[in-house]
Amino acid sequence: MSLFDSHMILAIIGTAIVGGFIGLDRTAAGQFMISQPIVAGPLTGWMLGDPTAGIVIGAVLELIWVVDMPVGAFVPANSTISTVSATAIAALGSHGVAPLPVIGFSLLLTTAMVPMTMMADNVVRKMNSRQADATAIFSREDEGRTLARAHLSGLALFYLKSFVLCLVFLPIGITAVALFSRLPENFHRAMSLFVKLLPLLGAALIVRKLSMKMIDLFLLTGFMIAAVLGQIFHVPAFIVILLTIMGGWLGARYSGLRR
Amino acid sequence: MDYGDKEIGAKDLLVVFLRAFLIQTSWSFERMQSLGFAYAIEPILRKLYPDQMEYESRMKLHMSYFNTQPYLASFILGGVVRLEQDRASGRNTAADVQGLKDALMAPLGALGDSFFWGALKPLAAVVATALLMLGSWWAPLLFLVIYNSWHVGLRCAVLFWGFANGGDAVDLLARYRFTRMAKLFKVISLTVLGGILGTMPAWRPELKPAIDMPGLLLALSGMAFTLTLIVVLRRGSSPVKLMLGLAVFCLALAFAGVIK
Repeated sequence: MSLFDSHMILAIIGTAIVGGFIGLDRTAAGQFMISQPIVAGPLTGWMLGDPTAGIVIGAVLELIWVVDMPVGAFVPANSTISTVSATAIAALGSHGVAPLPVIGFSLLLTTAMVPMTMMADNVVRKMNSRQADATAIFSREDEGRTLARAHLSGLALFYLKSFVLCLVFLPIGITAVALFSRLPENFHRAMSLFVKLLPLLGAALIVRKLSMKMIDLFLLTGFMIAAVLGQIFHVPAFIVILLTIMGGWLGARYSGLRR
Repeated sequence: MDYGDKEIGAKDLLVVFLRAFLIQTSWSFERMQSLGFAYAIEPILRKLYPDQMEYESRMKLHMSYFNTQPYLASFILGGVVRLEQDRASGRNTAADVQGLKDALMAPLGALGDSFFWGALKPLAAVVATALLMLGSWWAPLLFLVIYNSWHVGLRCAVLFWGFANGGDAVDLLARYRFTRMAKLFKVISLTVLGGILGTMPAWRPELKPAIDMPGLLLALSGMAFTLTLIVVLRRGSSPVKLMLGLAVFCLALAFAGVIK
């Protein structure tokens, strides 16, 4: 059976269409954070019939990219395209529910594609400059319409960027997953471990950004609360997380930060 | 005094509020949010300046360079709408609209970036990810609710507040203590992050390391590995390089026979 049958081609085009819309939320419209990995991953996974892959990829990439901030003219890595592509590659490449090694391999593939997504983001912003220049020549009749046309054309450019990137990444990724499945078992074991270690890397990246200290007291306090209550007193994990939130609030209050 | 059709009402501000969600649609390196700002304020200018020449000249003014944090841009929009209203109605013909924009965009940009991107987003993400990793499928919805209740609420509030006080930033800072809230959010994010590491043995099976050891020891190992990564990060590695390095590390362990 051919890898790219009509069903697969339709799924790729469908994902690219949805990916384009999700990508708009990133910069061009709203910024309601639907484009964040924690939302975009499960959404793509649910759409393609593999919510678990979306949840795993979304959770991992959220931790890794959440503190990559669009400050000033800096264009951060496009975690939306990475998430949508990784989830779709894992789900479509597995023809159903993606096994853990395939999820890990998809994450690795889309990580390698990050520089390309940043380049595409830069190209769109340069093209937007030309639209801004075009508004300098107002038609006498309706300046408002000229402005709206030039401004809203940015929506089309941002949409096309995400759509085209998904359309390019998905067939490459699905082909790579097919080749990956033929590799020796050691590669599969390595990718399973890779997925399980990525949340720790994400945690390290966030701590590095939020705290100047090598060993942060609040991080250790949260860890102690969770480890003691969860592992020694067997308090349900959901309650443990609520207690760490309270612990953080009290810690801030009594350490003088709220003064 | 009756200013008639030169009076800006809640309906006009609502149009600006909705258009402000598209402030970054044509973001470019040269002029950043300039078109977005002009697009958001255009219906106001059309209402205030029926004279074509004056309307054109005000439009050109608002298409000059502008860049700030997109959510707090609503405060500047509110202030600018107020000054334009005062100028057009004759209440304050010397209103320095451009001066207000120039004075506020950089400080509000820095303030908004550190609050929204550097504190609120990590907090919402860390809390939701913690729950998602522990098996709560609804965590992404919680993330959207936490984030957008602040995001949309503040966007609306600061627009009307900016209009009410004519863009007085001191008033804004007295009302919303962004720096204090950012510090609080960062502290809570760090403790919840510690909580994520401490609950490692209860993570979803796809994410929980398949190592046969007591829960407490597993959590301690996870914490030790994270602290090691923090040390590596302090030497200046990028996330992409670290992810690739981690993949190579996993391959080395697999081929060395350490993981089965």
